[in-house]
Amino acid sequence: MASKIVTFTLNGRRIEVLVKPLTTVQTLLRDQLGLTSTKAGCKQGGCGSCTVLVNGDPMMSCLLPVEDVQGQEVTTLEGITPTPGLHIIQEVFYENFAIQCGYCTPGMIMVSKALLDRNPHPGREEIIDALTGNYCRCTGYEPIIQAIEEAARRMNGNGN
Amino acid sequence: MNTREYFLPQSVNEATQLLAKHGPFMLVMAGGTIAMPLINEGISFPQKVMGLRRAGLSYVTKPNGKITIGAMSTLTQMLDLKEIPILQEAAHQVGGWAIRNMGTVGGNLFAPPPAGDFAAALMALDAQLKLVSTAGARIISLTDFYTGFMTTALSPGELVTEIQVPVPTGKTAYLKYGRKHANTPAVVTVAAQIELDGEGVTNSRIALNAVGPHPIRASKAEEILSGSPLNPTTINMAASAAAEECEPFSDAIATEWYRRKMVEVYVRRTLTKITDRR
Repeated sequence: MASKIVTFTLNGRRIEVLVKPLTTVQTLLRDQLGLTSTKAGCKQGGCGSCTVLVNGDPMMSCLLPVEDVQGQEVTTLEGITPTPGLHIIQEVFYENFAIQCGYCTPGMIMVSKALLDRNPHPGREEIIDALTGNYCRCTGYEPIIQAIEEAARRMNGNGN
Repeated sequence: MNTREYFLPQSVNEATQLLAKHGPFMLVMAGGTIAMPLINEGISFPQKVMGLRRAGLSYVTKPNGKITIGAMSTLTQMLDLKEIPILQEAAHQVGGWAIRNMGTVGGNLFAPPPAGDFAAALMALDAQLKLVSTAGARIISLTDFYTGFMTTALSPGELVTEIQVPVPTGKTAYLKYGRKHANTPAVVTVAAQIELDGEGVTNSRIALNAVGPHPIRASKAEEILSGSPLNPTTINMAASAAAEECEPFSDAIATEWYRRKMVEVYVRRTLTKITDRR
Protein backbone atom coordinates (compact mmCIF):
# COMPACT_ATOMS: atom_id res chain seq x y z
CA MET A 1 0.00 0.00 0.00
CA ALA A 2 1.89 2.99 -1.30
CA SER A 3 0.94 6.09 0.67
CA LYS A 4 1.68 9.39 -1.05
CA ILE A 5 2.55 12.91 -0.01
CA VAL A 6 0.09 15.46 -1.37
CA THR A 7 0.59 19.22 -1.19
CA PHE A 8 -2.27 21.66 -1.54
CA THR A 9 -3.67 24.87 -0.08
CA LEU A 10 -6.22 24.36 2.67
CA ASN A 11 -8.06 27.45 3.90
CA GLY A 12 -5.26 29.69 2.67
CA ARG A 13 -2.40 27.68 4.19
CA ARG A 14 -0.12 25.44 2.19
CA ILE A 15 -0.18 21.95 3.73
CA GLU A 16 1.49 18.64 3.09
CA VAL A 17 -0.28 15.41 3.99
CA LEU A 18 0.49 11.71 3.77
CA VAL A 19 -2.49 9.72 2.49
CA LYS A 20 -3.28 6.12 1.67
CA PRO A 21 -4.37 5.46 -1.96
CA LEU A 22 -7.83 6.84 -2.80
CA THR A 23 -8.35 8.51 0.59
CA THR A 24 -11.10 11.08 0.11
CA VAL A 25 -10.81 14.77 1.02
CA GLN A 26 -13.67 14.17 3.47
CA THR A 27 -11.77 11.44 5.35
CA LEU A 28 -8.60 13.53 5.36
CA LEU A 29 -10.36 16.60 6.75
CA ARG A 30 -12.36 14.80 9.41
CA ASP A 31 -10.15 11.91 10.51
CA GLN A 32 -6.61 13.10 9.83
CA LEU A 33 -6.85 16.87 10.28
CA GLY A 34 -9.72 17.08 12.78
CA LEU A 35 -11.61 19.66 10.70
CA THR A 36 -15.10 18.34 11.36
CA SER A 37 -17.23 21.14 9.89
CA THR A 38 -17.22 19.07 6.69
CA LYS A 39 -19.85 16.45 7.47
CA ALA A 40 -20.09 12.81 6.47
CA GLY A 41 -23.72 12.27 5.52
CA CYS A 42 -24.38 9.73 2.79
CA LYS A 43 -20.87 9.27 1.32
CA GLN A 44 -22.67 8.89 -2.02
CA GLY A 45 -22.54 12.45 -3.32
CA GLY A 46 -26.27 12.60 -2.69
CA CYS A 47 -26.73 14.87 0.33
CA GLY A 48 -24.28 17.76 -0.05
CA SER A 49 -23.32 17.91 3.64
CA CYS A 50 -19.64 17.32 2.73
CA THR A 51 -19.47 20.16 0.18
CA VAL A 52 -16.12 21.98 0.07
CA LEU A 53 -14.87 24.53 -2.44
CA VAL A 54 -12.07 23.53 -4.79
CA ASN A 55 -10.69 26.65 -6.47
CA GLY A 56 -14.01 28.25 -5.55
CA ASP A 57 -16.19 25.53 -7.10
CA PRO A 58 -18.42 23.42 -4.84
CA MET A 59 -17.49 19.75 -4.87
CA MET A 60 -18.50 16.71 -2.83
CA SER A 61 -15.48 15.92 -0.67
CA CYS A 62 -16.73 12.34 -0.13
CA LEU A 63 -16.18 11.58 -3.82
CA LEU A 64 -12.90 13.42 -4.24
CA PRO A 65 -9.54 11.64 -3.81
CA VAL A 66 -6.97 13.78 -1.98
CA GLU A 67 -4.43 13.17 -4.73
CA ASP A 68 -6.78 14.90 -7.19
CA VAL A 69 -6.45 18.22 -5.28
CA GLN A 70 -2.65 18.30 -5.50
CA GLY A 71 -1.71 21.97 -6.01
CA GLN A 72 -5.33 23.14 -5.76
CA GLU A 73 -7.04 25.46 -3.31
CA VAL A 74 -9.52 23.82 -0.93
CA THR A 75 -11.83 25.85 1.32
CA THR A 76 -13.96 24.51 4.16
CA LEU A 77 -16.30 26.26 6.57
CA GLU A 78 -13.38 26.68 8.99
CA GLY A 79 -11.64 28.70 6.28
CA ILE A 80 -14.37 31.30 5.86
CA THR A 81 -15.11 31.74 9.57
CA PRO A 82 -13.32 34.81 10.96
CA THR A 83 -11.69 34.69 14.42
CA PRO A 84 -13.45 35.87 16.46
CA GLY A 85 -17.00 36.11 15.11
CA LEU A 86 -19.01 34.79 12.23
CA HIS A 87 -19.10 35.23 8.46
CA ILE A 88 -22.12 37.23 7.24
CA ILE A 89 -23.63 34.04 5.75
CA GLN A 90 -23.28 32.31 9.13
CA GLU A 91 -24.91 35.26 10.87
CA VAL A 92 -27.91 35.32 8.57
CA PHE A 93 -28.38 31.55 8.84
CA TYR A 94 -28.43 31.95 12.62
CA GLU A 95 -30.78 34.92 12.61
CA ASN A 96 -33.23 33.51 10.06
CA PHE A 97 -33.67 30.13 11.75
CA ALA A 98 -32.02 28.49 8.74
CA ILE A 99 -30.36 25.99 11.08
CA GLN A 100 -32.22 23.30 12.99
CA CYS A 101 -30.21 20.10 13.53
CA GLY A 102 -27.30 21.79 11.77
CA TYR A 103 -25.95 18.82 9.86
CA CYS A 104 -26.57 20.28 6.41
CA THR A 105 -25.47 23.78 7.44
CA PRO A 106 -21.75 23.71 6.56
CA GLY A 107 -22.54 22.36 3.06
CA MET A 108 -25.34 24.88 2.60
CA ILE A 109 -23.05 27.75 3.63
CA MET A 110 -20.23 26.64 1.33
CA VAL A 111 -22.61 26.51 -1.64
CA SER A 112 -24.08 29.90 -0.64
CA LYS A 113 -20.58 31.34 -0.48
CA ALA A 114 -19.75 30.04 -3.96
CA LEU A 115 -23.05 31.39 -5.31
CA LEU A 116 -22.62 34.87 -3.79
CA ASP A 117 -19.00 35.04 -4.98
CA ARG A 118 -20.21 34.55 -8.55
CA ASN A 119 -23.52 36.33 -8.35
CA PRO A 120 -23.78 38.97 -5.58
CA HIS A 121 -27.50 39.49 -6.24
CA PRO A 122 -29.00 36.08 -7.02
CA GLY A 123 -32.72 35.76 -7.68
CA ARG A 124 -34.85 33.29 -5.74
CA GLU A 125 -34.76 30.78 -8.62
CA GLU A 126 -30.98 31.02 -8.84
CA ILE A 127 -30.66 30.36 -5.12
CA ILE A 128 -32.92 27.32 -5.35
CA ASP A 129 -31.01 26.06 -8.37
CA ALA A 130 -27.68 26.39 -6.52
CA LEU A 131 -29.01 24.45 -3.53
CA THR A 132 -30.53 21.48 -5.41
CA GLY A 133 -27.63 19.20 -4.45
CA ASN A 134 -27.91 19.96 -0.72
CA TYR A 135 -30.52 18.21 1.36
CA CYS A 136 -32.05 19.65 4.52
CA ARG A 137 -34.57 17.42 6.28
CA CYS A 138 -35.48 19.98 8.97
CA THR A 139 -36.14 23.47 7.73
CA GLY A 140 -38.17 22.95 4.58
CA TYR A 141 -35.58 25.17 2.82
CA GLU A 142 -37.60 28.39 3.03
CA PRO A 143 -35.58 29.90 5.93
CA ILE A 144 -32.35 28.95 4.12
CA ILE A 145 -33.47 30.69 0.92
CA GLN A 146 -34.46 33.76 2.89
CA ALA A 147 -31.15 33.75 4.75
CA ILE A 148 -29.22 33.79 1.48
CA GLU A 149 -31.39 36.63 0.17
CA GLU A 150 -30.62 38.53 3.38
CA ALA A 151 -26.89 37.76 3.05
CA ALA A 152 -26.93 39.19 -0.47
CA ARG A 153 -28.58 42.37 0.81
CA ARG A 154 -26.09 42.77 3.67
CA MET A 155 -23.03 42.09 1.57
CA ASN A 156 -24.37 44.43 -1.13
CA GLY A 157 -21.96 43.11 -3.68
CA ASN A 158 -19.02 42.83 -1.33
CA GLY A 159 -18.13 39.19 -0.72
CA ASN A 160 -15.75 37.46 1.71
CA MET B 1 -11.22 0.29 1.58
CA ASN B 2 -8.31 -1.78 0.37
CA THR B 3 -7.21 0.05 -2.74
CA ARG B 4 -3.49 -0.55 -3.00
CA GLU B 5 -2.62 1.77 -5.82
CA TYR B 6 -4.17 4.97 -7.16
CA PHE B 7 -2.71 6.19 -10.43
CA LEU B 8 -3.14 9.74 -11.64
CA PRO B 9 -1.65 9.86 -15.15
CA GLN B 10 -0.60 13.26 -16.49
CA SER B 11 -1.37 12.51 -20.14
CA VAL B 12 -3.46 10.23 -22.36
CA ASN B 13 -0.27 8.48 -23.36
CA GLU B 14 0.57 7.67 -19.76
CA ALA B 15 -3.03 6.59 -19.12
CA THR B 16 -3.13 4.13 -22.02
CA GLN B 17 0.24 2.71 -20.99
CA LEU B 18 -1.02 2.16 -17.44
CA LEU B 19 -4.14 0.54 -18.84
CA ALA B 20 -2.09 -1.76 -21.08
CA LYS B 21 0.05 -2.74 -18.11
CA HIS B 22 -2.61 -3.28 -15.43
CA GLY B 23 -5.41 -4.32 -17.74
CA PRO B 24 -8.88 -5.25 -16.59
CA PHE B 25 -7.91 -5.38 -12.91
CA MET B 26 -7.67 -1.61 -12.78
CA LEU B 27 -10.79 0.52 -12.36
CA VAL B 28 -10.81 3.58 -14.61
CA MET B 29 -12.43 6.53 -12.90
CA ALA B 30 -13.42 9.90 -14.37
CA GLY B 31 -15.25 12.33 -12.06
CA GLY B 32 -15.79 9.68 -9.38
CA THR B 33 -19.52 10.32 -9.03
CA ILE B 34 -20.36 6.71 -9.98
CA ALA B 35 -17.30 4.79 -8.78
CA MET B 36 -16.65 6.49 -5.43
CA PRO B 37 -20.12 5.85 -3.93
CA LEU B 38 -19.68 2.13 -4.65
CA ILE B 39 -16.20 2.16 -3.11
CA ASN B 40 -17.33 4.16 -0.05
CA GLU B 41 -20.18 1.71 0.45
CA GLY B 42 -17.92 -1.34 0.17
CA ILE B 43 -19.82 -2.67 -2.84
CA SER B 44 -16.79 -2.30 -5.05
CA PHE B 45 -13.26 -2.67 -3.70
CA PRO B 46 -10.83 -2.31 -6.59
CA GLN B 47 -7.16 -2.97 -5.80
CA LYS B 48 -6.01 -0.57 -8.49
CA VAL B 49 -7.72 2.61 -9.59
CA MET B 50 -6.75 5.10 -12.28
CA GLY B 51 -8.16 8.63 -12.01
CA LEU B 52 -8.16 10.77 -15.16
CA ARG B 53 -8.50 14.31 -13.72
CA ARG B 54 -4.92 15.22 -14.65
CA ALA B 55 -4.79 13.49 -18.03
CA GLY B 56 -5.37 16.69 -20.04
CA LEU B 57 -8.80 15.68 -21.31
CA SER B 58 -10.74 18.67 -20.05
CA TYR B 59 -11.25 20.81 -23.13
CA VAL B 60 -13.85 21.96 -25.62
CA THR B 61 -12.76 22.96 -29.11
CA LYS B 62 -14.86 24.02 -32.07
CA PRO B 63 -13.38 23.04 -35.40
CA ASN B 64 -15.60 23.54 -38.50
CA GLY B 65 -19.19 22.48 -37.86
CA LYS B 66 -18.19 20.23 -35.00
CA ILE B 67 -17.78 20.50 -31.26
CA THR B 68 -15.01 18.38 -29.80
CA ILE B 69 -15.36 17.63 -26.11
CA GLY B 70 -12.52 16.13 -24.09
CA ALA B 71 -13.87 13.14 -22.14
CA MET B 72 -12.96 14.70 -18.77
CA SER B 73 -14.85 17.94 -19.43
CA THR B 74 -17.33 18.44 -16.62
CA LEU B 75 -21.07 18.81 -17.02
CA THR B 76 -20.65 22.35 -15.68
CA GLN B 77 -18.45 23.11 -18.70
CA MET B 78 -21.32 21.97 -20.94
CA LEU B 79 -23.52 24.78 -19.59
CA ASP B 80 -21.42 27.19 -21.67
CA LEU B 81 -22.08 25.38 -24.98
CA LYS B 82 -24.32 28.04 -26.49
CA GLU B 83 -24.12 26.42 -29.93
CA ILE B 84 -25.99 23.34 -28.70
CA PRO B 85 -28.81 24.34 -26.32
CA ILE B 86 -29.96 20.72 -25.97
CA LEU B 87 -26.63 19.82 -24.35
CA GLN B 88 -26.85 22.81 -22.00
CA GLU B 89 -30.32 21.68 -21.01
CA ALA B 90 -29.31 18.04 -20.56
CA ALA B 91 -26.26 18.97 -18.48
CA HIS B 92 -28.23 21.29 -16.25
CA GLN B 93 -30.64 18.50 -15.36
CA VAL B 94 -27.89 16.22 -14.05
CA GLY B 95 -27.47 16.18 -10.25
CA GLY B 96 -26.82 19.39 -8.33
CA TRP B 97 -24.11 22.01 -8.76
CA ALA B 98 -21.33 20.11 -6.94
CA ILE B 99 -22.06 16.91 -8.88
CA ARG B 100 -21.96 18.80 -12.19
CA ASN B 101 -18.58 20.22 -11.16
CA MET B 102 -17.28 16.65 -10.75
CA GLY B 103 -19.23 14.46 -13.18
CA THR B 104 -17.77 14.32 -16.68
CA VAL B 105 -19.11 13.90 -20.19
CA GLY B 106 -16.99 10.77 -20.73
CA GLY B 107 -18.01 9.29 -17.38
CA ASN B 108 -21.69 9.86 -18.10
CA LEU B 109 -21.41 7.46 -21.06
CA PHE B 110 -20.75 4.70 -18.54
CA ALA B 111 -23.48 5.64 -16.05
CA PRO B 112 -25.90 2.74 -15.73
CA PRO B 113 -29.60 3.66 -16.25
CA PRO B 114 -31.57 5.44 -14.92
CA ALA B 115 -28.44 7.66 -14.91
CA GLY B 116 -26.74 8.59 -18.18
CA ASP B 117 -29.20 11.13 -19.53
CA PHE B 118 -26.50 13.33 -21.01
CA ALA B 119 -25.43 10.39 -23.17
CA ALA B 120 -28.98 10.20 -24.55
CA ALA B 121 -28.73 13.85 -25.64
CA LEU B 122 -25.39 13.08 -27.30
CA MET B 123 -26.98 10.10 -29.06
CA ALA B 124 -29.73 12.26 -30.56
CA LEU B 125 -26.98 14.49 -31.96
CA ASP B 126 -25.19 11.51 -33.54
CA ALA B 127 -22.06 11.97 -31.43
CA GLN B 128 -18.90 10.04 -32.32
CA LEU B 129 -16.42 8.78 -29.75
CA LYS B 130 -12.67 8.68 -30.08
CA LEU B 131 -11.24 5.56 -28.47
CA VAL B 132 -7.51 5.49 -27.82
CA SER B 133 -5.18 2.66 -26.82
CA THR B 134 -1.42 2.14 -27.04
CA ALA B 135 -2.13 0.59 -30.47
CA GLY B 136 -3.73 3.75 -31.85
CA ALA B 137 -7.06 5.49 -32.14
CA ARG B 138 -10.43 4.79 -33.73
CA ILE B 139 -13.76 6.56 -34.05
CA ILE B 140 -17.06 4.86 -33.28
CA SER B 141 -20.60 6.22 -33.19
CA LEU B 142 -22.18 6.47 -29.74
CA THR B 143 -25.15 4.43 -30.97
CA ASP B 144 -22.80 1.51 -31.73
CA PHE B 145 -20.86 1.98 -28.51
CA TYR B 146 -23.36 0.23 -26.24
CA THR B 147 -23.58 -3.56 -26.44
CA GLY B 148 -25.60 -4.38 -23.31
CA PHE B 149 -26.16 -3.54 -19.67
CA MET B 150 -22.85 -2.02 -18.51
CA THR B 151 -21.04 -3.46 -21.51
CA THR B 152 -19.60 -1.47 -24.41
CA ALA B 153 -17.64 -1.86 -27.60
CA LEU B 154 -14.45 -0.76 -25.80
CA SER B 155 -11.64 -3.23 -26.41
CA PRO B 156 -9.26 -4.09 -23.59
CA GLY B 157 -6.77 -1.26 -23.22
CA GLU B 158 -8.99 1.37 -24.81
CA LEU B 159 -10.10 4.67 -23.28
CA VAL B 160 -12.78 7.08 -24.44
CA THR B 161 -10.80 10.29 -24.84
CA GLU B 162 -13.04 12.54 -26.89
CA ILE B 163 -16.66 13.07 -27.86
CA GLN B 164 -17.24 14.69 -31.24
CA VAL B 165 -20.61 16.32 -31.79
CA PRO B 166 -21.75 17.72 -35.13
CA VAL B 167 -23.54 21.03 -34.60
CA PRO B 168 -27.20 20.05 -35.06
CA THR B 169 -28.73 20.85 -38.44
CA GLY B 170 -32.23 19.83 -37.39
CA LYS B 171 -34.56 20.98 -34.63
CA THR B 172 -33.88 19.53 -31.21
CA ALA B 173 -35.83 18.99 -28.03
CA TYR B 174 -35.05 17.36 -24.69
CA LEU B 175 -37.38 16.29 -21.92
CA LYS B 176 -36.42 14.54 -18.73
CA TYR B 177 -39.20 13.30 -16.50
CA GLY B 178 -38.28 12.53 -12.89
CA ARG B 179 -40.17 12.38 -9.62
CA LYS B 180 -38.82 15.76 -8.56
CA HIS B 181 -38.07 18.96 -10.46
CA ALA B 182 -34.31 18.73 -10.08
CA ASN B 183 -31.47 16.47 -8.92
CA THR B 184 -33.51 13.37 -9.66
CA PRO B 185 -33.12 10.08 -11.49
CA ALA B 186 -35.23 9.77 -14.63
CA VAL B 187 -38.46 7.87 -15.11
CA VAL B 188 -37.76 8.49 -18.77
CA THR B 189 -35.59 10.90 -20.73
CA VAL B 190 -36.23 11.74 -24.38
CA ALA B 191 -33.81 13.57 -26.68
CA ALA B 192 -34.76 14.18 -30.29
CA GLN B 193 -33.36 15.81 -33.39
CA ILE B 194 -35.62 16.14 -36.43
CA GLU B 195 -34.58 17.46 -39.82
CA LEU B 196 -37.41 18.82 -41.93
CA ASP B 197 -37.61 19.71 -45.59
CA GLY B 198 -40.74 21.82 -45.72
CA GLU B 199 -43.35 19.60 -44.06
CA GLY B 200 -41.61 16.25 -44.48
CA VAL B 201 -39.14 14.68 -42.09
CA THR B 202 -35.90 13.90 -43.88
CA ASN B 203 -33.97 12.58 -40.91
CA SER B 204 -34.89 11.86 -37.33
CA ARG B 205 -33.02 10.71 -34.27
CA ILE B 206 -34.89 9.88 -31.10
CA ALA B 207 -32.88 8.71 -28.08
CA LEU B 208 -34.39 7.38 -24.87
CA ASN B 209 -32.83 6.81 -21.48
CA ALA B 210 -33.91 4.99 -18.32
CA VAL B 211 -36.03 2.62 -20.41
CA GLY B 212 -33.43 0.11 -21.52
CA PRO B 213 -30.09 -1.42 -20.54
CA HIS B 214 -28.36 1.77 -21.80
CA PRO B 215 -29.38 4.89 -23.74
CA ILE B 216 -31.19 3.59 -26.82
CA ARG B 217 -32.48 4.84 -30.17
CA ALA B 218 -36.19 4.51 -30.80
CA SER B 219 -35.56 3.24 -34.32
CA LYS B 220 -39.12 2.14 -35.10
CA ALA B 221 -40.41 5.55 -34.14
CA GLU B 222 -37.69 7.11 -36.31
CA GLU B 223 -38.77 4.94 -39.27
CA ILE B 224 -42.39 6.01 -38.91
CA LEU B 225 -41.41 9.68 -39.06
CA SER B 226 -38.98 9.31 -41.95
CA GLY B 227 -40.50 10.81 -45.10
CA SER B 228 -43.76 11.67 -43.32
CA PRO B 229 -45.05 15.04 -42.30
CA LEU B 230 -44.63 15.89 -38.61
CA ASN B 231 -48.23 16.24 -37.41
CA PRO B 232 -50.31 14.99 -34.46
CA THR B 233 -51.17 11.73 -36.26
CA THR B 234 -47.57 10.76 -37.09
CA ILE B 235 -46.37 11.97 -33.71
CA ASN B 236 -48.88 9.71 -31.96
CA MET B 237 -47.85 6.76 -34.12
CA ALA B 238 -44.18 7.36 -33.37
CA ALA B 239 -44.86 7.74 -29.66
CA SER B 240 -46.71 4.44 -29.39
CA ALA B 241 -44.02 2.70 -31.47
CA ALA B 242 -41.37 4.00 -29.06
CA ALA B 243 -43.38 2.76 -26.07
CA GLU B 244 -43.62 -0.66 -27.71
CA GLU B 245 -39.97 -1.02 -28.69
CA CYS B 246 -38.31 0.25 -25.49
CA GLU B 247 -37.24 -2.18 -22.76
CA PRO B 248 -38.07 -0.49 -19.46
CA PHE B 249 -37.27 -1.93 -16.03
CA SER B 250 -38.75 -1.59 -12.56
CA ASP B 251 -36.77 0.09 -9.79
CA ALA B 252 -37.33 2.35 -6.79
CA ILE B 253 -38.23 5.22 -9.14
CA ALA B 254 -40.90 3.62 -11.32
CA THR B 255 -42.30 0.31 -12.52
CA GLU B 256 -41.78 -1.11 -15.98
CA TRP B 257 -45.48 -0.55 -16.72
CA TYR B 258 -45.35 3.12 -15.70
CA ARG B 259 -42.13 3.81 -17.56
CA ARG B 260 -43.63 2.40 -20.78
CA LYS B 261 -46.71 4.62 -20.41
CA MET B 262 -44.48 7.63 -19.82
CA VAL B 263 -42.34 6.87 -22.88
CA GLU B 264 -45.44 7.35 -25.02
CA VAL B 265 -46.37 10.59 -23.25
CA TYR B 266 -42.87 12.06 -23.30
CA VAL B 267 -41.97 11.10 -26.88
CA ARG B 268 -45.22 12.78 -27.91
CA ARG B 269 -44.43 15.90 -25.87
CA THR B 270 -40.86 16.07 -27.16
CA LEU B 271 -41.93 15.83 -30.80
CA THR B 272 -44.74 18.32 -30.24
CA LYS B 273 -42.21 20.71 -28.75
CA ILE B 274 -40.28 20.43 -32.02
CA THR B 275 -43.36 21.28 -34.12
CA ASP B 276 -44.00 24.26 -31.84
CA ARG B 277 -40.52 25.53 -32.62
CA ARG B 278 -41.16 25.82 -36.33
